[in-house]
Amino acid sequence: MDDGFAWIIFVGTVLLAAGLWLMAPRPRSRGPWSGLLVVAFGLGALVSQLPAVGGAGPEFIFYLLAAATVLPAVATVTCASPMYAAIWFAMTLLGSAGLFLYQGSQFLGVATIIVYAGAILVTFLFVLMLAQPSNNASYDRLTWEAPLSAGAGAVMVGLLTLAIVSVFQNDVAAAHPVSEVTQAALDKELLNPEHMARLGGQLFSRHLIAVELAGTLLLVGLVGCVAIVTQMHKSRVPKASGVGRAMTEVVTGGSMTHVGMSGPISAGAGPGLGGKSHV
Amino acid sequence: MSEVALLENYLVVGALLFGIGLFGFFSRRNMIVMFLCAEMMLQGVSVSLVAWGRWHNDWGGQMLVIFILTVAACEAAIALALVLALYQRSGSLDVAFWQSLREDNQPPHVDRELPPTSGDDKHWPTLTPSGLEPPPNLEEVTHRSHV
Repeated sequence: MDDGFAWIIFVGTVLLAAGLWLMAPRPRSRGPWSGLLVVAFGLGALVSQLPAVGGAGPEFIFYLLAAATVLPAVATVTCASPMYAAIWFAMTLLGSAGLFLYQGSQFLGVATIIVYAGAILVTFLFVLMLAQPSNNASYDRLTWEAPLSAGAGAVMVGLLTLAIVSVFQNDVAAAHPVSEVTQAALDKELLNPEHMARLGGQLFSRHLIAVELAGTLLLVGLVGCVAIVTQMHKSRVPKASGVGRAMTEVVTGGSMTHVGMSGPISAGAGPGLGGKSHV
Repeated sequence: MSEVALLENYLVVGALLFGIGLFGFFSRRNMIVMFLCAEMMLQGVSVSLVAWGRWHNDWGGQMLVIFILTVAACEAAIALALVLALYQRSGSLDVAFWQSLREDNQPPHVDRELPPTSGDDKHWPTLTPSGLEPPPNLEEVTHRSHV
């Protein structure tokens, strides 16, 4: 078997790691474009080893959706501002919802948008607004061991791509296909026009216990959340009163001096009143 | 449409999402961004599960993704409550604040280079002036403060 594809995947992995490292947030920002170019070359090297989806139309739609998923993902992890990272992640979710729809799983595509982008991501944004002290924190432009982690992520991608490509290029595997589903069978089961009815039937018959467990998990999560938040306030009370008093003293002292300093100035500089009093 | 090619392409997209999320989870310091990256890894797994489900013409992949969605919602709720609790104690979302929890034989992490705090980093939002310009106040224009 020709193993030229392994070298190309290796080069793609190295380029992906280098590009991610170049794009990682750093104290003195250089702009994302050089890193993005390297990442694009790496992705191109990986994609060049994949078989065509078949036909120009499906090809175009698939690569559009894949690009709308992967490129915002790169932007999510490399964007210094957490607010923009969350919004880029919403773009990733929209792209993957498109991928789900393209596979014919309509419910998941819609649920990803509603539950993930609509509920979970908005919760993230709420917490960001609650907890983000200033617009530009220094730790957002610092990373842990960016080269090593870029290498780890890229090696993961490279190994998985190598495994996927080599398994399906293998002659033995091609001679004994694991599963060859015909279009007729797909139309009867997974791509059935009554998608929701089939899905709900499966969910509430074969996976009924899992549904009950998931409901219990949600309830436990809710109770745990409330417990954490109430405990948080209880444990803060003795400390918070002391800190709070000190803070208010500082703030009132500061604002008093501010008022004392700015009072006469603003009265003198006031265009209407100050002028009239002099006249 | 070739089903094998579709499966392979989807698996590679899933691997890319997982790997990029892994990189972000390892390298980023903001706790909320770390959780975003964890969610991205879950999304990569979901993409591959849906592809496998179609390949086998089986509903199991989509069922698993539905449960992944449920678990992700739970995880996000609890993780964000914990992040808020940690934020109230430390005053920042920096995960390096908690590095005293590391093992005894690990050296502490010290930032080699801090980002410069220059003035042009702070872009506060401003409103552009709009509407009709009010007529100039003659008294104000011709006023001399020290007559």
